Amino acid sequence: MAGLHFPVYALAVLVSSTPALAGSGANVADNFARPALQDFESAAIKLTLATQGLCAVPGAATLAAARSLFVETAGAFGRVSVLRFGPLAAENRFEKLFFWPDPRGIALKQVQAALAQKDETLADVAVLAGKSVALQGLPALEFALFGSGSHELVSAPADFRCRFAAAVAANIAFVAGEAVAGWRVDTPFAASFTDPKPDGEPYRSAAEVDGEIVKALATVLQFIRAAELQPPLGDDSAGANGRLAPLWRSDATFGLVTAQIAGARDLLLAAGYAETLPADQNWLPGQVRFSLDAARRGLEQIASPAEKAFADADDRGRVEFAEVALDGAGHDISEKLSAALGLTMGFNALDGD
Amino acid sequence: MRKQIDRRTFLGLLGLAAVAPAGAGEDEALWLGARLAAGGGFEVAVIDARGRDRLVLPLEARGHSFAIDAPRRRAVAFARAPGRFAVAFGIDGGTPPFAIAAAEGRHFFGHGVFTADGRLMLASESDYEAGQGVTGVYDVAAGFRRIGEFSTGGIGPHEIVLMGDGRTLCIANGGILTHPDYERLKLNLDAMKPSIAYIDVASGELVEQVFLAEALHRLSIRHMALDAAGDIWFGCQWEGEPGERPPLVGRHRRGREPELFPGPAATLRGLDNYVGALAVDASGGVVATSSPRGGIIAFWDAATGRHLGDRELADGCGVAPMGEGLVLASSGRGALAELSAQGEREIVAARPAPSWDNHLRRV
Repeated sequence: MAGLHFPVYALAVLVSSTPALAGSGANVADNFARPALQDFESAAIKLTLATQGLCAVPGAATLAAARSLFVETAGAFGRVSVLRFGPLAAENRFEKLFFWPDPRGIALKQVQAALAQKDETLADVAVLAGKSVALQGLPALEFALFGSGSHELVSAPADFRCRFAAAVAANIAFVAGEAVAGWRVDTPFAASFTDPKPDGEPYRSAAEVDGEIVKALATVLQFIRAAELQPPLGDDSAGANGRLAPLWRSDATFGLVTAQIAGARDLLLAAGYAETLPADQNWLPGQVRFSLDAARRGLEQIASPAEKAFADADDRGRVEFAEVALDGAGHDISEKLSAALGLTMGFNALDGD
Repeated sequence: MRKQIDRRTFLGLLGLAAVAPAGAGEDEALWLGARLAAGGGFEVAVIDARGRDRLVLPLEARGHSFAIDAPRRRAVAFARAPGRFAVAFGIDGGTPPFAIAAAEGRHFFGHGVFTADGRLMLASESDYEAGQGVTGVYDVAAGFRRIGEFSTGGIGPHEIVLMGDGRTLCIANGGILTHPDYERLKLNLDAMKPSIAYIDVASGELVEQVFLAEALHRLSIRHMALDAAGDIWFGCQWEGEPGERPPLVGRHRRGREPELFPGPAATLRGLDNYVGALAVDASGGVVATSSPRGGIIAFWDAATGRHLGDRELADGCGVAPMGEGLVLASSGRGALAELSAQGEREIVAARPAPSWDNHLRRV
């Protein structure tokens, strides 16, 4: 799959190296979305090959390789998770890749049931792709590779668990490939996002593209806070529960979150607003970047495993600091940056009331 | 993290400001709306046809819509979802406000209705651990004691309407799963199944339920009103791909399949995949649907579903009957306007504050 998309990637690099007259949409497509999605797909392909390798040659080394590539793929997904619009959102792709939040533990229940029943159809990626989205993505694969019983993967050849894991990994790569394809230059979505026209869909103007970018940034920061950091934090350290954090079994939680923050920052910088905003407002992207980098650096210092970190006094402080910094960045984006871009965010227009 | 009702609610209620002149007539037209005040506080206001405040009631958090018992001059203001409180109050300021806390494990969605005899108040609520919609049943005379609940037959119940027979509730199950621990994040976009459910008030029994076509499973049915023929008009919000523009306005007659009316392409584009509120005019023959996202209010003929015209109102959302063919509309930018398919009359110009919330209700 990587080979198929390589020419597109090369083209994107060429386009981005031409003098910048492009609008924010073209900048984001060329300088962030396409390369980041390509990296995600590549990581998922490597993960698929490693998981298939584990099934062929079960052992500690092959299991470690697959687990390591899982963590890498989670990070690569984290970077693109800010792109929750267009191709990565269509056809439930985001939910297929990352069924989260999952307050009722649907993914865990379904994966455990699948493993217990050894439903062979779920080891077939073509069939899996039509099953519950909770079975198809990173949380499901994480349980297969890291959850209870995963130690069996070192010894049991042709174990159903391994083949299920390989199918999930292949599905992740497939869905990532669809998102890559959806951002190609010749697609209606990409044409509209990079060159919006008054009669176009889904974007009629550069302002609507800017609105999408601002919304994407605000959305991913809200998602990190509300779906990933706040639930495990609880109200106080006694109420903390690291098992409410995403991907705690693989301890990929903070790798995921820091990659999400980095993705938000890189998308913002790629949009080029520091160059296009008036001189008295062009400091805004820098201020948001400062908050995002501060949050990310704090999370990178976390010493304990994610399962324990939310209850650990020092690490909890780092999470709380990041949470506040992300909240500030979110307000700067949805209020100041949107106003600077001439977007008016309505009192009644943002939420599904 | 779940916000509990607390002393601030009760302290806030002490700030009740009745600004109505004494002896305001019961036949005077009044409207209720929630808003964010100039000073930053959330409040509920009773206003007259000239947009003047007749009663202002502070709230501890953002309000949404109301249950109204007009004969007994009583209303309940609901907190915006995921709301932990509601406040009952006298529309004319004659009775002290009374706070109603959401039951353990439940939160309000912001809408409710009184039964015709005023004995019961029914509220759309979430049983969020089970992920199921319920209608909470409150005994008004017993101090709004919650005496039970029944299933709405779906997830994310939003607006509730009492049908013309006085004994059937119509509930819009928006289909979107949320959980108060996760702010307002939508947890089930892949598996939404919105519906319109009819429930017998006396038994709590689901007597009819209709769904949209599978291809429209992400079309969240949220707001409703009754027309002169006794049919339900509903407005929807599209949670699917923005480039797809499904019809957002529909009508349901009991015993039939729901009908959807796309209207002209420009109107559909103008609604921007989001109807924030819906009202039927005083004659029952004209339906108004607002889109704060698109900044338009579209008018429809209730008898035929024909589109009648659009009016522009930036961040306009609240709509409520005003006269024949007329609605009173409010905006997040402080505007109040009398609108029809044919024209508009500004009552209060847009101004920095207050920001009116999604709904206006006529008493």
